[in-house]
Amino acid sequence: MNAPTSFRPAGPLPAAPLAPYTGAWNAKLAAHLLRRAGFGGSPADVARLAALSMNDAVDSLIHFPAVDLPAQPTLPDDRNELQGGDATQAGRERRMAARRAANIAMSTWWLQRMLKTPAPLQEKMTLFWHGHFTTAEGAKGVLAQDVVNQNTLYRTNALGNIRDLTQAVSRDPAMLKYLDNARSQKAHPNENYARELMELFTLGIGNYTEQDVRESARAFTGWTVRRPFRGGGFFEYAAQHDDGQKTFLGRTGNLDGNDIVSIIFEQPAASKWFARKLLSYFVYDDPEPELIDAVAAALVKNDFETAPVLSMLLRSNVFYSARTYRALVKSPVEFVVGSYQLYGIDTVDLPTLGVLNRMGQTLFHPPSVKGWDGGIAWLNSQTVLTRENFASTLMASQQMMSAQSWLSAGVPANARAAVDKLVGTILYGDASEAGMAQVQAYLDGTGTSALGTFSPENFEERMRGGAYLTMAMPAYQLS
Amino acid sequence: MKRSRFLLGSLTGLTVAARADSLFGAALAQPALTELPGSADDRVFVVVNLQGGNDGLNTIVPYASQSYYQARPTIGIAPGDVLQINEKIGFNPALRSLKDMFSRGDVALVQGAGYPKPDHSHFRSTEIWQTAAPDRYLSTGWLGRYLDGAKLTQSNLFNAVALAQVLPEALVSRTIDVPAIGAVQTYRLASDRAPGERSAFASLASDAGVPFASPYLGAVAQIEDHAQRGSEELPGLIAGYTTNAAYPATPLGRSLALAAQIIGSRLGTRILYVQHGSFDTHAAQKGTQDRLLGELSDALKAFYDDLAEHGNDKRTLTMTFSEFGRRVAENASAGTDHGEASPMFLVGGGIKGGVYGEHPSLDDLDNGDVRFTVDFRSVYATVIERWLGRPSADIVLGEFGTLPFLG
Repeated sequence: MNAPTSFRPAGPLPAAPLAPYTGAWNAKLAAHLLRRAGFGGSPADVARLAALSMNDAVDSLIHFPAVDLPAQPTLPDDRNELQGGDATQAGRERRMAARRAANIAMSTWWLQRMLKTPAPLQEKMTLFWHGHFTTAEGAKGVLAQDVVNQNTLYRTNALGNIRDLTQAVSRDPAMLKYLDNARSQKAHPNENYARELMELFTLGIGNYTEQDVRESARAFTGWTVRRPFRGGGFFEYAAQHDDGQKTFLGRTGNLDGNDIVSIIFEQPAASKWFARKLLSYFVYDDPEPELIDAVAAALVKNDFETAPVLSMLLRSNVFYSARTYRALVKSPVEFVVGSYQLYGIDTVDLPTLGVLNRMGQTLFHPPSVKGWDGGIAWLNSQTVLTRENFASTLMASQQMMSAQSWLSAGVPANARAAVDKLVGTILYGDASEAGMAQVQAYLDGTGTSALGTFSPENFEERMRGGAYLTMAMPAYQLS
Repeated sequence: MKRSRFLLGSLTGLTVAARADSLFGAALAQPALTELPGSADDRVFVVVNLQGGNDGLNTIVPYASQSYYQARPTIGIAPGDVLQINEKIGFNPALRSLKDMFSRGDVALVQGAGYPKPDHSHFRSTEIWQTAAPDRYLSTGWLGRYLDGAKLTQSNLFNAVALAQVLPEALVSRTIDVPAIGAVQTYRLASDRAPGERSAFASLASDAGVPFASPYLGAVAQIEDHAQRGSEELPGLIAGYTTNAAYPATPLGRSLALAAQIIGSRLGTRILYVQHGSFDTHAAQKGTQDRLLGELSDALKAFYDDLAEHGNDKRTLTMTFSEFGRRVAENASAGTDHGEASPMFLVGGGIKGGVYGEHPSLDDLDNGDVRFTVDFRSVYATVIERWLGRPSADIVLGEFGTLPFLG
């Protein structure tokens, strides 16, 4: 592909980019809001937001109701298998089987939650934190229950205070294992967590020195996990903590991990780091420096509380501008969960987990500590074929034409009316005239002797094929 | 290079002007690649990734070392079983075919390949080998960076091919969309439940005439187009290729057979990537590793028999790598845990066969692991400079020198 190095939208920033948007409000913008602040939603979800004012619609996402869904999955009790005591081949096989069962259980549970939650922004931000403060199940003794507990931490703090979350992440057993702090010793500080905390989680390269890495690693010594294979929690091991003087980012004292995180959040680079990440997740890639600065200032003003900053972003002129519209690539999770919501499918099955894996996004298994690159990295020949084949399989399902499905409700008078219904509901009209004519020709059987004209008899088969073709249009890859 | 027949056929329908300019215009204006045997443009580089961390000490066995047998009372390979290279080292007996190729001068063994401050995580160490960047996180792979500057025909869908379900990070490029092909059977569009659907699909998916502006529109259209044409064309482009080579009936055997078919069909492919494993032998190592090494050895032999049958062996260089070697001492379950350095093999392409680099010492360990003696980036640099004909500093991100296994 001739990929440009930046996917920033063309054209200038709108005037007063972060000021509240006061233009027209309609289903198309409500769908845009729900794609970004959720996973797309059902046609009824979009209609409900469209019927509210923009302000009330955003409020309903930010101030969400209590969620009556299982707080955690039921994992197989594999504690005995995971202690590592049985090192025979049979023991290893039992451990692999237990891990596989746990991964299926927790991935299914989370996808179901995304699918059904009345608080989509909470799940969208949980996914954001999962891709930011990454931890992978199975690496370095990280147990399934560890990442499930971490997931709960992200959900509880989904729209909370970023500094508080970073403090909690620094004591999170999954993270302590994943980035080796659990095994850090006073005599031999392990620098992995200290380094990634600054490089990938809060500041970025260039905003600290190697000496800062070494000093902060000393400050985190003794932060470990008690009984790591038996579900033990965070443990401050005083005998392994280095309580000598340290100098970190210009501050000297007997610093500990809490002090390190607090000092990090006093750096201007921290607010810019999170501003850029939030803009890339909710607005568009490679945001302008002035936009980053404005959001960073809002983060500082709100003491790193996420909710007021997201509230501002989701109401802003730039968020509803043409340059933001369809400016992001849907992640595999957005693509799959959004498709399920669109057609009212409420059960995640095992093949869906395989599909997500082949599309490049396996929950609880980010590819590395830097998370998923996203954007153009989601798309290549194989992943795009997987997306299309997923759509094809979906439309082959009998469930599509159930009595509750919008797809089957009311036989359109003619092929043009059917196209309007498909493109209106699936893409909110984001198709070219030529593209719509192409779908119409398919529905009508034009130019193909084997296909009869559109009629009540072939309506079901033809609508499914038409929906598949509509999902093949470029807009469906984009959020 | 075969001109793909669909190239002209798809200039109908919704193909938009912008796309025609960038894709088809350029393709039609370009002459076919010259096919001078042995010229730089004709060369193919094949990577075999030994996934999971291959135990180097039981691959190339230091059979004269007492320390080796002390550390490995159960899984150590007896001196009499080793296929000797010299008075110190020899091949694992499962590598019989590879040893025969080595004896004919077609294999270079690079000992002790690794990098400073080794990471013991599969994820991170694999990423380090794929990006050639031990000390930072990059979004492009080393072969991706090679592709970016290689002046390739942009419209060719098969400049590089990964025979894998998911694109390996090594091949992530800024400019070339590399197809990842699990198997020809699954690299295809599963649509066409109804006649007419398929033809409509092709133009719809890359329709750029939509009523909104997105910075991703061009990329989506191009990748959709590549995916559809590529999957549609590949079976036809490689049909008609036959071989007498006897490949083992294993995933690696099938991958290398397909690789030889792609090379022999002259699609202009410069890079191929295949995977083999898993070598993560924490328990009962011997059975697993010997089986995998035997499969590797026999599949490589069949691959080069096949290539030679079609006159492609001298233009095809193959390299193996693994994310790390394993701990020197065996563990309590007759296996080994994650270690550091391990050997690499380079095969074919008129290579100067022999042994390169020092075998790592078993008496000067890094916390129980052998220390690397050759930075893997010097092997990459050698391939880039002397096989693919490009300066390497921007690809391996520094100066690491080269090894004399290529002329």
